[in-house]
Amino acid sequence: MTTPVISARALTLTLGQTEILKGIDLEVAPGETVALLGPSGSGKSSLMALLTGIERASGGRLAVAGSDFADLSEDALARARRGRIGIVLQAFHLLPTMTALENVATPLELAGQPDARNRAAEELAAVGLGHRLAHYPAQLSGGEQQRVAIARALAPRPPLIFADEPTGNLDAATGAAIIDLLFARREATGATLVIITHDPDLAQRCGRIVTLADGRIASDVRR
Amino acid sequence: MSGDSLSAAALQRRTISWGTAWRIARADLSWRFRGLRLLLACLFLGVAALAAIGTLTGSIQRELDSRGRLILGGDLGLEVWQRDLTGPELRALAALGKVSIGTRMQAMATAGEATVPVQLKAVDGNWPLVGRLRLADGRTVGAPPPGEAWLAEGAAERLGVAPGQRFAIAGRLLTVGGIIADEPDRLGEGFGWGVPVIVDAEFPGNAGLTQTGSQFRTRARIAFATEQDPAAAADRLKHRFPASGFALRTRDKAAPGAENFVARMGQFLILVGLAALVIAGIGIGLGVASWLEGRRASIATLKVLGATSADIARITLLQVAAASLAGIVAGLAAGVLATPLLAAALGSLIPVSPGFVIDAPALAMAATYGLLVVLVFTAPPLARARAFPAMALMRARISPLALPWRHALLPVAAGLAAIAALALATAAQPWVTLGFLGGAAAALALLALTGKGLRRLAARLPRPRGALLRTAMANLHRPGSQVPALVTALGFGLSAFVLLAAVQTSMSANIAARVPQRAPDFFVLDIPRDRAGEFRAAVAATAPGAQVRMVPNLRGAILAYGPPGLMTRVADLPKIADNAWALRGERGLTYADSVPEGNRLTAGRWWPQGYAGPPLVSVDERLADAIGLHLGDRLAVSVLGVEREATIASFRRIDWDSLGFNYVLVFSPNMLADAPHNLAATIDLPLGADGTKHRPPGLLRALVRAFPAASVIETGPILRDARDLLNQVSLAVLAAAGVAVLAGIAVLVGAIAAARAARIYETVILRVLGASRRQVLLVLLGEFGFLALLLALIALPLGSAVGWWIVVRLFEFDWLPNWPRVLAVLAGGLALVLGFAMAASLPVLRARPAQVLREL
Repeated sequence: MTTPVISARALTLTLGQTEILKGIDLEVAPGETVALLGPSGSGKSSLMALLTGIERASGGRLAVAGSDFADLSEDALARARRGRIGIVLQAFHLLPTMTALENVATPLELAGQPDARNRAAEELAAVGLGHRLAHYPAQLSGGEQQRVAIARALAPRPPLIFADEPTGNLDAATGAAIIDLLFARREATGATLVIITHDPDLAQRCGRIVTLADGRIASDVRR
Repeated sequence: MSGDSLSAAALQRRTISWGTAWRIARADLSWRFRGLRLLLACLFLGVAALAAIGTLTGSIQRELDSRGRLILGGDLGLEVWQRDLTGPELRALAALGKVSIGTRMQAMATAGEATVPVQLKAVDGNWPLVGRLRLADGRTVGAPPPGEAWLAEGAAERLGVAPGQRFAIAGRLLTVGGIIADEPDRLGEGFGWGVPVIVDAEFPGNAGLTQTGSQFRTRARIAFATEQDPAAAADRLKHRFPASGFALRTRDKAAPGAENFVARMGQFLILVGLAALVIAGIGIGLGVASWLEGRRASIATLKVLGATSADIARITLLQVAAASLAGIVAGLAAGVLATPLLAAALGSLIPVSPGFVIDAPALAMAATYGLLVVLVFTAPPLARARAFPAMALMRARISPLALPWRHALLPVAAGLAAIAALALATAAQPWVTLGFLGGAAAALALLALTGKGLRRLAARLPRPRGALLRTAMANLHRPGSQVPALVTALGFGLSAFVLLAAVQTSMSANIAARVPQRAPDFFVLDIPRDRAGEFRAAVAATAPGAQVRMVPNLRGAILAYGPPGLMTRVADLPKIADNAWALRGERGLTYADSVPEGNRLTAGRWWPQGYAGPPLVSVDERLADAIGLHLGDRLAVSVLGVEREATIASFRRIDWDSLGFNYVLVFSPNMLADAPHNLAATIDLPLGADGTKHRPPGLLRALVRAFPAASVIETGPILRDARDLLNQVSLAVLAAAGVAVLAGIAVLVGAIAAARAARIYETVILRVLGASRRQVLLVLLGEFGFLALLLALIALPLGSAVGWWIVVRLFEFDWLPNWPRVLAVLAGGLALVLGFAMAASLPVLRARPAQVLREL
């Protein structure tokens, strides 16, 4: 049996007095495409924050891409993300003072990649933005900004990609194009993809749909 | 392709390299330094002030050094009082090189009705040994021919004479040969009463001005025949003629008074500039904190992409360093560019290198202070930025971050220690510097605490009923309010304004009012001792009711002191302390039968009338303390080149405030009465019916006619000069303190800009709720007006208290500030603050509700 790329056991998250996640058990195999579905407040984004090491769990065990997240400090979690976990966020979160090329090159540079700029340019060309390298985020459309964000997440060739409501800030047509692109790039790199969404149609494109409700996994369906 | 394509070592590297950090920092940094402009502006102001002060001071000092030979008028200078040089002395000087001998003295010049005190300078045919005297008509000349004189422009003006016309000194007629345009060794002449007049070397002797006992100085200048060390040559002369009383000067210390003044003034201005830079530091800290707050999302994004807190520290540090470097370089450039303007403002007062000067040590010091202030004030916000969590991207609000002092403490402490160490290491007077640093730190701490207290007070005050006033008050204490920082930054500068205005007006009032009341109206030198009665009669005839006090007046240098057989020779002392100033050169000596007026014995006994035993001396207790004298010790002085010894019989406390004749050494008459000498007198005019003193018109003329060799010094013009000097010094300090206020204003503008988004939002809400633009303006005016009122309430007592201490305790003068002027200066400062505050708030006023709400 192959080693799961994500292995969560009895994962909990409590902020202040509020219990956000109430014991999540989840295993994701390499190469899977998983949709985390659920209504607002169900704990989707919090679960993603734990799985990406952005937030530390209050309890339970969690191993991601070969690292035991439970024992790692915040800085060690950051190092664990380098080159292993790519993240695409709903609000893009591009660095506004950097060009598209610089935005994509940054994770490669943080990981000590020597030809970061060339690889970033290749990745931008792959998402159809080879002609926008020197543009700043403010000079790009919403769709283009999300393409840059996808290129940035995929540039270090991570085995695991998370996308949090990647089309939430886009119109329907642009959103569909972005999802096509995301799946195409995942296909090309063979990475595991976890998408957080409340869109059932988008979830249908994934091989597995995990539904959250009130901080627990309500259903886990492989298709 | 898989993630393993990145090397495991690279992925686990704890911190990115500085090169990578710089690439990310550079890409992420706006070259227009958006968000960091407050840092730039504050650093620019502080560094520019320090660079300008340091460059100007260095420029003056270098000019004094490089022109040393010209200022001194040779390689070595020598001066003795009341006598000519002896044959062996002259031969010893001639062996060194070319010698120019002359005399200097006070004298009275008359022309028609005008009677003017002059500094008489008699020079021989070799003068000037260095440079040439330039006359206003363009001629370059040396000594004037016999019967002629070169007059300073002021002398010609006051006497009302032009070239070719005649005037008299000591009853001898002289023709004005020319008006002096540039006298090469004027700065080396030192301070003197009256305007300069140059005559040939024989004139004073022929006019009877150098009779034995007269107050004249013989001055020699030597241009070495072969290059040699001037200090070594001076030492040889001192040891060869131990009782000569020589005051020696070398070309590298040609104008020690001017050099000391420039060094101390420069040091003081540097400290004021440093205080301004510290105020600017508050702005730097606020600016960086506000910039980092704005970059929370970017920092969190970098962390999501794999940056550790150490990586964030490196990246932000490099960005702040780049902006700081730009601010420092711009400040240094402005400092260099401002120096010629300041030099031009100094005019002909003091020599400054013309044009632009790149003074590397001064610029390095300004830059170092700038970097250290950046280190101290940016370490806390940078340490906080390390801790911005990646989670900030996922959640709109995260709990406020505590300052991780572990990371900030070391750089803050190291920076503060380095600032203090640098200031002390480069100080002309380390204790004064230490006092200033301590005082400034205490004032800043007091202001910071006051600011915090006021914010709390504002929060606890009853809420005003009116919505607009309530909003204005709330702005002072709401979360994120910068009132403590503003009170500290602006309070310091405005307190300095109040302090300077109060000290300057107090000192000026003392000089204008108190000193003339206490000081005699005239000092008269060189009254023949056998004509004291005639002198009193002459004064009584022209100024009835005037009080005349006469004392024997000699000059002499202290040569040695201490217990019998174990005396310390002054010539052997490596350095003379400031409070032992009486050991330097020749000083006034006198003798008396009774304790002089205004003096009080503090130890020992006074000698009886007609005492005829071994010579005794009474010594000023401050000098005794400074050099460790005891009753019964011996004291050797040189009088007219002869060494005489006396036993210390008593110590006296002298009331220096009496401003009359006060002598550090008073001898028993049998010690000095046989030495040739004259009398000196003070004349106190009676008060008129209107409570003021009126100078009798004929007094000076009558005295000059009856005592042609005597010289009269009027206190009025001297006090005017003192007030002029005080005003110039005050202006220089005020300009340096002005930088502190400007830095404070930069902090204010920065704080307003940082809170602009929140203010615009509130303003828009007020407008939506029906407030007019005028009412919004009133809210802003109310808030800043209240801040101005707080600042006034802080600056007035704080500045006045320190000013009182300086005037009353330090200078021992009366506290006589001109309150309308002090308040006007404070009001001017506050108006500046209010003006800038309102100008910086204009975008808030201009915000259009519809547009803002659309963008929310």
